[in-house]
Amino acid sequence: MTKYRKDIVTALLAFCFVIILNFILPRILPGDPIAYLTGFAEEDMTVKQYEYYEDALHLKAPLPEQFLHYLKSLGDGSLGYSYKKEATVRSLIFNRLGHTLQITLTSVCITSIIALVLGLSSGLSKGGSFDRAVTTSSVILNTVPTFMIGIVLLLFFAFHKKWFPYANLSSTGVRKGTVSFFLDRIWHLFLPVLTLVLAQLPSRFLLVRNLAANISEEKYVLYAKTRGLSRRTIKYHYIFPNIAAPFINLVGMSVGSALGGALVIENLFSINGMGTLLTDAVYSLDYPLIQGILFVTTAFMTLSIILSDGLCLVVNPKLRKKERTQ
Amino acid sequence: MKRRNLPLYLGLAILLLFVLIALVPSLFTSYSRKDMFPPWQGMSSEHFLGTNNLGYDIYTELIYGTGDTLFIGVTSSILSLVLGLAIGTLSSSESFVGSIFTSLTNMFVYLPKLVTLIVLSTFLGSSSFTLIALISAFGWVGTSRVVKGKIVHLSSAPFIENCTLLGYGKLHTVLHHYVRNLQDVIVSRFLAGATSCIMMESTLSFLGFGDLYHPTWGTMVNYAWKRGAMLRHAYNYLLAPGFAIMALSLSFYFLSLFFEKKQEEINL
Repeated sequence: MTKYRKDIVTALLAFCFVIILNFILPRILPGDPIAYLTGFAEEDMTVKQYEYYEDALHLKAPLPEQFLHYLKSLGDGSLGYSYKKEATVRSLIFNRLGHTLQITLTSVCITSIIALVLGLSSGLSKGGSFDRAVTTSSVILNTVPTFMIGIVLLLFFAFHKKWFPYANLSSTGVRKGTVSFFLDRIWHLFLPVLTLVLAQLPSRFLLVRNLAANISEEKYVLYAKTRGLSRRTIKYHYIFPNIAAPFINLVGMSVGSALGGALVIENLFSINGMGTLLTDAVYSLDYPLIQGILFVTTAFMTLSIILSDGLCLVVNPKLRKKERTQ
Repeated sequence: MKRRNLPLYLGLAILLLFVLIALVPSLFTSYSRKDMFPPWQGMSSEHFLGTNNLGYDIYTELIYGTGDTLFIGVTSSILSLVLGLAIGTLSSSESFVGSIFTSLTNMFVYLPKLVTLIVLSTFLGSSSFTLIALISAFGWVGTSRVVKGKIVHLSSAPFIENCTLLGYGKLHTVLHHYVRNLQDVIVSRFLAGATSCIMMESTLSFLGFGDLYHPTWGTMVNYAWKRGAMLRHAYNYLLAPGFAIMALSLSFYFLSLFFEKKQEEINL
């Protein structure tokens, strides 16, 4: 129990760290905070504009009060205001978040399932030909940067074979809510999701494999083998329950890294998501928007870690019973 | 040649080749960086990988990018290693300071690394040195955890207790026993760190945070992508830097494979 409680506290600490980082960065770096917080160059502003922004951003107030104003903007959900785009950061991110999450969550699910199935098979017969083949190929795949995987898939499947589209998440003229819209979406999601799965799979697979290999050396697995139980039963009834808790944690952790990967992939496949929004914000130096994206990403990461830790408590009978007896 | 040593020779061969290219690039290409040719030429015997939109020879760009890629990757992995060793040692103590550094390490595990790095590099601007500083500021976490584990494990080892009982000074114990036993961790973490630092650098450079005056392989892919190599069918412009990154990471992986095997044999 204390382990999970500690995990959750640490995740919340990381969350606070990002909030403080977001607050401090524009204020301590050399240069005018107004330039950072609006994204406009100081020289381009009239005195009146400058005073307006200084007032609107509460920059004359002492730092603790500024921090409270910042927390308030996070609390009411507006996440700050992008003066470049003339909209609240929330509205800008909210429009795009769905697309990013579709890529991220789909690929996290697919990656986790494949990693589990392959990892259990490999771990149970460590050193066998299947294990060696899968491990070698995942190690090689691990040396390819995510964007290269995306580029290769894009070149081959979208440009050379023309099997899949090379941009966007929907074809033009397909109405929302229909079956064809759904199928069209899957067709568009295929390559981005495949890229992210290939990028994330090696490390997840190796972790599951090592977990499973450790359990395979236990005596009850040996006994199960000598009783002539099928490999399937051993894998899913003997090994899986024992690695379930670390596996769930692994899935929780991968949401964060998958989000990062999705941001890169969106740029390749020209998908209207948070990643393209981030690139756009970076090129136009829209600092509030960049910080908002960092905040939302961290929030999702913290949430998924807390959820996975909670789920670990639910599925782990050892921990539950210990609580009761105490 | 023993089969066991194959990864060592293979890794060293690739790595030494890259180091040689980085040190004397002019040995490998007859053109200089700024020689101009007609743009968007295909592969030929004069231009192994064709030319880009400005008419520069792509193969020459690749050769001259080796040094910067290797420099950023290796420097940031050395820095991450030093940071990781320091923070790992600090967090292994049982005092209040130790617990602070332990929670700092755990917190960094949970940070969304890529997005935080993107935000920081937008604020700090892009140069090779910011890139190195930022990558190592986030690259120490794994090392610190491993080092902490190893030190805690060593502290309770019988031979260390023996040293204390025999009245050896702390300095002697640290120099002759801790450091000796940490050696294999240091080597394996350096090699693993080099791979991940190279990957991180190439991803950031691909997203456009690289140093434009010192283009690395990641920056090359970024240029190729932005300048429309895809539509020009100049696939080699996009893929060649990627293969180079892959070869470099593989060479570090081969080396770590060799040291891992060696360590296993010692432990048996």
